[in-house]
Amino acid sequence: MVKKKCVAMLLAGGQGSRLHSLTTNIAKPAVPFGGKYRIIDFTLSNCTNSGIDTVGVLTQYQPLVLNSYIGIGSAWDLDRRNGGVTVLPPYTEASGVKWYSGTANAIYQNLNYIEQYNPEYVLILSGDHIYKMDYSKMLDYHIQNDAEATISVIEVPWEEASRFGIMNTNADFEIEEFDEKPDEPKSNLASMGIYIFNWKSLKNYLELDNTNEESSHDFGKDLIPLFLNEGKRLMAYPFEGYWKDVGTVKSLWEANMDLLEENPGLNLFDHSWRIYSRNPNQPPQYLSQTSDVKDSLINEGCIIEGTVRHSVIFQGVQIKEDAIIEESVIMPDAVIGKGAIIRRAIVPEHITVPNDVTIEPEDGSGEIILVTQEMVEKLRKDVTA
Amino acid sequence: MSRLLGVIDAATVMGGLQDLTLNRSVASIPFAGRYRFIDFVLSNMVNSGVSSVAIFPKHQYRSLMDHIGSGKNWDLDRKRDGLFFFPPYFEPNETTSIGSFARLEQHIEFFKRSHQDYVVIANSYVITNVDFEEALAEHLIHDYDITEIQHEGESLEMYVLSKSLLVELIENRRTSQFISVSDVVKQPLHSFNIGSYEHKSYTAIIDSIPAYFKHSMDLLGHAAWSQLFSLDRPIYTKVKDEPPTKYATNAQVSDSMIANGASIEGTVESSIVSRAVKIGKESVVKNCIVMQKSQIGKGCTLEYVILDKDVKVLDGTTLRGTAEKPLVLRKGSIREAAVAK
Repeated sequence: MVKKKCVAMLLAGGQGSRLHSLTTNIAKPAVPFGGKYRIIDFTLSNCTNSGIDTVGVLTQYQPLVLNSYIGIGSAWDLDRRNGGVTVLPPYTEASGVKWYSGTANAIYQNLNYIEQYNPEYVLILSGDHIYKMDYSKMLDYHIQNDAEATISVIEVPWEEASRFGIMNTNADFEIEEFDEKPDEPKSNLASMGIYIFNWKSLKNYLELDNTNEESSHDFGKDLIPLFLNEGKRLMAYPFEGYWKDVGTVKSLWEANMDLLEENPGLNLFDHSWRIYSRNPNQPPQYLSQTSDVKDSLINEGCIIEGTVRHSVIFQGVQIKEDAIIEESVIMPDAVIGKGAIIRRAIVPEHITVPNDVTIEPEDGSGEIILVTQEMVEKLRKDVTA
Repeated sequence: MSRLLGVIDAATVMGGLQDLTLNRSVASIPFAGRYRFIDFVLSNMVNSGVSSVAIFPKHQYRSLMDHIGSGKNWDLDRKRDGLFFFPPYFEPNETTSIGSFARLEQHIEFFKRSHQDYVVIANSYVITNVDFEEALAEHLIHDYDITEIQHEGESLEMYVLSKSLLVELIENRRTSQFISVSDVVKQPLHSFNIGSYEHKSYTAIIDSIPAYFKHSMDLLGHAAWSQLFSLDRPIYTKVKDEPPTKYATNAQVSDSMIANGASIEGTVESSIVSRAVKIGKESVVKNCIVMQKSQIGKGCTLEYVILDKDVKVLDGTTLRGTAEKPLVLRKGSIREAAVAK
């Protein structure tokens, strides 16, 4: 194998249980986002755009859709003769099946994969966030600062800091302490779950951590404190820009709505940092004479005959005459029947909403409705009754 | 494995399409917001199970090569069979008649080496969704020598014949005086059994700017659209990774086909808008075809205009053509509002 300077390991095994029915059959990184993407597209595109061409994707929960979506990585230009994308599911050994018991354990079980490239650095990523980031700049920072590990951090509002893993640093951004979800945060620099390690020390500490029966084998909870206890130099890399964890129905909806702002924090139209995704090969969208679309993002293959306001519409969606969609996210191949009204909702893939029904949260509740197959069946019965 | 070998004769020159072919061949004229002419015939071949396709280009084929690449987007980047690109040798007085024997002869080894027993020879300017496997079935049932694919009785200049007959026609071209497959079919004096296969679904033969305009507008009706873009037989094209189209608060769009990556702030009616096009505030675009990456500024009025790629229409410009004679703005041109001198 040709030696690689930096290998990326992308943790994509998360269930994302707070996304409810959206993740019944697919892992969180495979959840659709932004009218044509899946969440993992952002991290994979960041890798390609940052010049990182060797990416191991660790899958565990409901990997079928994710595996076939990633394929050989050609959508992200990661079908490489040397390196490229490799899906790394848990596997069996002579001693039995070993599930990935924590983020660090998942990497530990794939030391062989990294070893074959003998890299100097390993970049650890998660497939759960929406952001654009040049990892090569973070790597430069890591090297310039002569760190053993560098953790990307973002300033979060103080009142939300206790929901995150918080890095307490000195004025030079050297990490002094790590607080996982502190009740009384001393800093508002939250870990983004993006780490760069010197490969040799990462390997040592992963092996050490594996022998510790008390450990939960997690990067934040176990590995980082281990580095700190040993007095290793850990740097925080301050990131500025759009970054969002889309772990709940509300935050997924919000992140979609963010794209509709006049100058969105995340610019999808920037040709120098394209977000790549698997192409569905559908014809252009058709907006009929009866259509009325404003303030929205619409993808290819849609046929729009109704009214759409402030919404994100994925590929292959049909919105029939007199239907009204407001502040909603309609995922691929959904059909919205004639005269149906949908407000502040997420309609998942392949759902057909019957004619003339109304789906909206109670006034002023601030809620976002996740439409489900059962909900639709019930509405259909109510309409025919 | 299909018994058909695909041949796309992309050497056609059409005087009537000249404004659109200054920098490109007919085969790579943009169509329907995100496609090039050749995408249709190439996808038809792939969807008919054809695994080996040879393209014979002639003029200005840089854009065609750029578009097709390795054939990956059509799943034709294969170890066995796949896509073959056969640029012409210099031949000053060569015919552009479809299936030119002189042109095919330059690469006759390809035909001899291929394992397929039948050949479908097609052109690049017929836009349709046709199953060549069905045409072959018809060809075999009737035991024709050459089967011409027709639509409503009109020749589409697409032919099915056995490879052995094709090779024979190519090798005997100097004595037979036949110059092309199309020529054989049109000549009355020979002993070949010529049959036809009627292809029924939507078909457009595009040989002039008015035809280009008319057939583009056909797509705005549901019938043509659904026949051309069937989900089981998709039309493949070069992937561009454009984001979804953004409609601003002032957007007013009706009866239009819009491709990805466009950004619409004005009014668009009965038009076709390609990938990464920008239409500014208070502009009205009616009965127009706007090709890739063209930009229309603020307060413009455009009717019956075809904007080729990368055209810039500056703020406040009014341009009008007619349905019979649409105004064509050439690739890369800039138009500004008439200023009193």
